[in-house]
Amino acid sequence: MDNKPTLSQYFSDTDAPPASQFFDEIGTSPSDMIQSIYLGETEGASTANLFPQNITGSFTQHKMTDELNFSNVIPTVSASAALPATSLPDPSTFFDTIGPEPTIGGKSGIASPNVLVEAMDGLSIKNQPVDKEADRRRDAWMPNDEAKKTLMKAQSSPKGSFFPEREVLTMPGLVLEEELPDALQEVSVKYLGVSSAGSRGVVRAEHVSRDEAGLRELLRTGYLRAALNLSAVLISAAGQGVGKLHRPSKHTPRSLQLWLTRFAVMVRIQLHEPLAKEAEAFGDCSQPDMFYQFYPDAYETRTGSLVPFSLRLLLAELPGHLGKPDEAMNKLYAMLDIIQRMLANLRMGKTEDGEGTLSSEQDKSESIRLWSGRETRVLHSIVNCAIAIKDYRQAGRILTSLQQAATTPVQRRALSSALCRLWLLAGHVKAAVACLEDAREARHHICPTPDVREYVDLGLIDIAHDKYQDAYNNFARAADQEPTNIMVANNLSVCLLYMGRLKEAISVLQKAIHSDPSRGLGEGLLVNLCTLHELESSKANDKKINLLRMLCKHKSDTIPNVLECLKLS
Amino acid sequence: MDPKEVVEHLVALKVMRLTKPAFISPKIVTCDSKDLPGNILNNYLKDDATSVTQMETLAAGQFLLLPQSFGNIYLGETFSCYVCVHNETSQPVQSVSIKADLQTSSQRILLTTQQNSPKMLDVDETLSDVIHHEVKDLGTHILVCEVTYMSNYNTLASFRKFFKFEVMKPLDVKTKFYNAESDDVYLEAQVQNITSGPIVLEQVSLESSQQFTVNSLNEISNGVSVFGDVTLLQPQESCQYLYYLTPKENISKEIKLLAAAKNIGKLDIVWRSNLGEKGRLQTSQLQRMAPEYGDIRVTFERLPSKACVDEPFYFTCKIANASERTLDLILKLRSHQNSSLLWCGISNRKLGPLEPGKSIVVKLTALPINAGLHSITGLTLVDLFLKRTYDYDDLASIYAY
Repeated sequence: MDNKPTLSQYFSDTDAPPASQFFDEIGTSPSDMIQSIYLGETEGASTANLFPQNITGSFTQHKMTDELNFSNVIPTVSASAALPATSLPDPSTFFDTIGPEPTIGGKSGIASPNVLVEAMDGLSIKNQPVDKEADRRRDAWMPNDEAKKTLMKAQSSPKGSFFPEREVLTMPGLVLEEELPDALQEVSVKYLGVSSAGSRGVVRAEHVSRDEAGLRELLRTGYLRAALNLSAVLISAAGQGVGKLHRPSKHTPRSLQLWLTRFAVMVRIQLHEPLAKEAEAFGDCSQPDMFYQFYPDAYETRTGSLVPFSLRLLLAELPGHLGKPDEAMNKLYAMLDIIQRMLANLRMGKTEDGEGTLSSEQDKSESIRLWSGRETRVLHSIVNCAIAIKDYRQAGRILTSLQQAATTPVQRRALSSALCRLWLLAGHVKAAVACLEDAREARHHICPTPDVREYVDLGLIDIAHDKYQDAYNNFARAADQEPTNIMVANNLSVCLLYMGRLKEAISVLQKAIHSDPSRGLGEGLLVNLCTLHELESSKANDKKINLLRMLCKHKSDTIPNVLECLKLS
Repeated sequence: MDPKEVVEHLVALKVMRLTKPAFISPKIVTCDSKDLPGNILNNYLKDDATSVTQMETLAAGQFLLLPQSFGNIYLGETFSCYVCVHNETSQPVQSVSIKADLQTSSQRILLTTQQNSPKMLDVDETLSDVIHHEVKDLGTHILVCEVTYMSNYNTLASFRKFFKFEVMKPLDVKTKFYNAESDDVYLEAQVQNITSGPIVLEQVSLESSQQFTVNSLNEISNGVSVFGDVTLLQPQESCQYLYYLTPKENISKEIKLLAAAKNIGKLDIVWRSNLGEKGRLQTSQLQRMAPEYGDIRVTFERLPSKACVDEPFYFTCKIANASERTLDLILKLRSHQNSSLLWCGISNRKLGPLEPGKSIVVKLTALPINAGLHSITGLTLVDLFLKRTYDYDDLASIYAY
């Protein structure tokens, strides 16, 4: 699809490029792939069709909300994002499901779960009704004053006569040049020999299509390094490959989605240094070419940012992964400020950027819901930064305000429980006990008897009091309710060690791994088990090699550092 | 056999310090469902055993991670460690026992272990013990673990391992005293966190000595701390506590005992850090500077804070003999020319004889003639024996209106 000439040549060779050509190129409509992601956007919106459906949609939605809150099946991430969207799963419900699980948005009309699955699988759907409001809402972002000036110019210039300065352009390019091998495979070749290692990842990478669908397939199956390699191929094809850093190139929603995917994988496998270098070109995504208004010929009156919210958030959080949580905190607060200004606009019945008016109450409530959810998500990230720098006062303040604003017992409970654990981290045991009381009070509205959550929190408080036997008993009660819960088994094992029962601690962890290898073989549990093996005997290596075999059998390439996890030297 | 070669022992000894475990959380990366990765990354997070259901994007975890390094240890904390002896051979090993000592610069402490009698260790079996010791010394500590077992030649074999660590000072306590005219003593105690991480001061209390009763000024009426909910101190931060102490009645009566009452009491501090790791310290006996009374101590009592102009006010003056001899005194009351207060009553009154340690109370009356804040001046005592004059011009003030 990208056999067009590389556009960056125009800028790299001469100072005054024929920019009109350049921007006409951008003006071509977004690729099919984006349509597959965004469920179409070229056809006119059938608004008449939309309204009645939306009304019934919101009606059923209310009923659903209650159901959702009282069953613990649907995971909610942000406190205020627990409500389902109308037609499509909204980005603010971070964990709305795609496939066979009860789809949150599925019942409400426009998109059947089936359509969603297809959309997510990358099959392009061209005949979907366009929801311009949903697009506006999702992409909304406020440009800063500097960017606004450029955007005004872009919009007011006659077609083809807008020549942007080089300074206002975002010019990314790949920095990490080498192709990454499957890390787990590399370790197994070293320790288990070539024959037992196989060539899993390579085969996998060669068997997927070299497009977004293939990328998703690699992600889904956990071949993260292969996915990273494929993202490099796709980004290169989009004209932002190696050597394109600091050179003008074409941005599309699709290219930014590719960057998002690449960066997300890099965070997961902790490739922080190259990530920092590649992310630098994006800055805080405030350049005018990151907005639709920059390309009036291509997107007409469409507003908002090409940068997906998730990418913006990831870039803001990034300094935190690089050991600079203070810097991340500043960036997150800057994001929060814009979100709160947009929410203020919405509450006054204006669009997010304050430029237009909202057409319906439905639109208003949906938009407020989406952006409050995103606000909460950013607040969570700020709390995470505060925890990283051990600023428990700050984290406590934010969590307390979220807890007080919680509207359902489920939210209040989850936040009180989180506060309880926060105060334990800080060593403020009395406050932790008080928060557990709050959580217990809220729990009474959900279920009459203590559940796993409560027993686990009780156990953690016992640990703070050095009462490991009591903690063990509480975790054991949790295990009675959820015998396959890996976290509970892990905590039981930790208690056993502090009680002087090393052998039992080891066997609990081994049992947990064998009961559910794909979940059990996580980094945390592996580090604990290898710590115990090392404590037990000076001949722990065989046991670690066995774990490596299990990893090869059950896991793909998701663990950032296998050697560190297994403490292999 | 080469004598340099390390002897292979039948059992292996491993030691691990048990600090509090840590909470871990997954790498939190989320996407909107309509982004390219869809919900795949979200599902990673959801399926991660270290994430918290319903709070996946918050890094307040619940998954316990065993300590991965020795960490720091501070005075007043409890040193705990896991000692483990493992049979490394394919045969049982007889009479295995562990002994653990902790050596400091000043002493050697035998750490109690639960299993003292030698035990047979079967193949792949371990003999283990958890040791706890409250650290009461600063500086270098050496943990010495000795393992004894029956070798293949039916002789007792043993080996020792040494683990060295430094015990550091967690808190810096600075104190300041104020001796008030009323014989009360005010104590300001500044507790500074000099550890490398945040701590929570769980309890700070002053245990007064026999000579004083203590009142804490760090709580408001219903027992709520003036510091609010959290007495959380980041590294280098400090908290200031204030106490006032009243001398017990038997002491305040006797000026000599009062001057000699130097012992204030001890500060008892309990703090917690990471996941409730607890530490406790008690300061040595805090001592105030004894008040200097000279030969005579004069204090005003029942003095009103304000009085109306042209209306006399009344108060008492307590004169105590703080010297070693009996005093014959004359009390003079003089109204200075510019003074706004006029004395009423008799000047040149003879007081005494006043025996050492005893005091006398005199009623006085004065009349303010101008509005304003006035020092009470013009009170003089003359020691008839030494012919010495003592002027008291600055003991108190009154506001006249």
